[in-house]
Amino acid sequence: MNIMQSAKQLLSTITKPDYALTKRHLGLLLVVIGVAGFVGILGIDVLDVGREGGIGPAQQLALAGCAALALLGLTLIPLGDTPA
Amino acid sequence: MTTRVLPQTQPVVSPRPLQLFHRVLMGGALLVLLGYFAVYVAFAANLIQFPFDYDQGEGFELVDTIMFSQGQWPYQDTDTFPFYSSNYPPLFHVIAAPFVWLFGPGYWYGRLLGFLGTLITAAAIGYAVYREGGSRTIGVLSALAFLASNTVYHIGPLFRQHMTMVMFETLAAVILARACDIPDQRQRRIALGLGLVAILCAGYTKQLAYATAGAACLFLFIRGPRRAIIWTAILGVIGGAIFLWLNIATNGQWWLQTISANVNEFYADQTIGLYRLWFSLHGFLIVPAALLVVYELYFSRLSFYSVWFIAAVANAALSGKWGAGDSYFATSIAAMCILSGIFAARSIRADWTFPDNYLTRGVIAPLRRAAPALAMIALIVVPLGYLGYARATLKMPTDGAFAPIATVLGLTPNADNNFYDSAGRIAGGYADIGHFTSQADIDAGWRIVERVRQAPGLVLSEEAAFTIYADRPVITNPTQLLNLWLNNQWDSSELVGMLENREFGLIVLRAQFYPTDVLIAIGQHYEQVDSIFMNGFDYLLWEPINPA
Repeated sequence: MNIMQSAKQLLSTITKPDYALTKRHLGLLLVVIGVAGFVGILGIDVLDVGREGGIGPAQQLALAGCAALALLGLTLIPLGDTPA
Repeated sequence: MTTRVLPQTQPVVSPRPLQLFHRVLMGGALLVLLGYFAVYVAFAANLIQFPFDYDQGEGFELVDTIMFSQGQWPYQDTDTFPFYSSNYPPLFHVIAAPFVWLFGPGYWYGRLLGFLGTLITAAAIGYAVYREGGSRTIGVLSALAFLASNTVYHIGPLFRQHMTMVMFETLAAVILARACDIPDQRQRRIALGLGLVAILCAGYTKQLAYATAGAACLFLFIRGPRRAIIWTAILGVIGGAIFLWLNIATNGQWWLQTISANVNEFYADQTIGLYRLWFSLHGFLIVPAALLVVYELYFSRLSFYSVWFIAAVANAALSGKWGAGDSYFATSIAAMCILSGIFAARSIRADWTFPDNYLTRGVIAPLRRAAPALAMIALIVVPLGYLGYARATLKMPTDGAFAPIATVLGLTPNADNNFYDSAGRIAGGYADIGHFTSQADIDAGWRIVERVRQAPGLVLSEEAAFTIYADRPVITNPTQLLNLWLNNQWDSSELVGMLENREFGLIVLRAQFYPTDVLIAIGQHYEQVDSIFMNGFDYLLWEPINPA
């Protein structure tokens, strides 16, 4: 099954009228947001190489927040199909 | 996965002396928080009778209200005379506008509306706790705890829109928390609609409500993505249409004044200081609120209150912006009072269930034998928590009718006008208010009004009340000019030119929040001739050097 089919299946599942997010889904969502945020914040320095001062305190805080979010997501995934 | 729900406790039969002790402590907590409520009512009554700015800029909220009552937008072009504009959405001022028709310009109705808004919020909190937790007493304690917060106390009775925003947010929270569980489709849609209308009202009272709007969308998404997509689209279309209409009707000033000009400098130290202060004042209730969030996350379903609390606490990071402050925590305090109240009510009833999962097996199961003891301990800890919260949020005048109590408590004033505040003014951005005003303050205000009346020509006043009462035009809104100037969105040349030409017969300064080039022009072409002390501030009166 290719990615498009998977995405289509996911979309058709979550748009069912009686569908609610499970703990696993919420966990995965948080992991994705946390990882994407972490990479994005690091990416600022990679893409914007002209910036001075490296990773500042606000960025460090944001990185820690993203890491915490991803970790929180990981702890939710084992809770399975329990409604979130 | 098969869910096996572990009964956390055996039926708990608490000894009668323990029950009695619990009731005495609960009664004590109620009594203390009712005492705080009495101080709050006295403070509100004092402020409602004060006819001038108590908090910097209240007078400009009055100007906005007057403009709406006359069918004018307060979102004006600040580059030209009278250089006035507002940076707040309209709803609060629109609600207050009929009072202008009936009573003319005045501060009392704006303050009364703010105060009544906090009472409605407290009632909604009490109702939510009673509905979810089943305890009337803890519902009342939670409502009183909200009003006892130092932040709510000193912002509640102001002519400001912030607590009205919190009122709409809380009403939305109480409606939406159960909306998804309503079996009847029509009733469910009505509830969802009402909840989202309340959110729209909050957003058009103050921009900060966007976090609650985000929390609502996220909560609806968790409970049903399809429903969330539909209702978020409805919210977006209606909210966007109003936004677009406002922007077109004001020739783009709505966007400039309320959005662009609000991108202010951020002071991380101020945010950190305010988070520490928030915890030191409210920690006794933050901890149980956070525990309920954790419980819902791992052992139950996330409630709207938890999602809202997380969003509000995160959003409070913006309290470090220039012009922001501890008021940015007010929404999180409302959510905290609901969550901590539900936690307290359930703890007293030992009403906890734990589905079988890895955390139950690893952390909860070993504690099962201690559950009856924990349930009994809760009978003592819960009221002690509210008493601890009361001690942490202590604030009151130390003179007048309050002097005997202040003496018994050993309080010495640590703020203006013989006021004690446990917050102690240690964090930047914590509003330096809360004290009562005096007749001497009112007399001083009228002396300034008299000076404005006698001044030749135009008057530039950092407080709008003086010019309003003297029937002079209100010129500029200094903080808004500063916001625009700091964002390179204000052309100061016309106002600076008027200052250089000494077109103002009198200038009244308080916090000197004008843009730097305006202050320089004042310093070069005007001289201070008098200073009148009012409400803890020196109002500086400046007249032109060698009048033209």
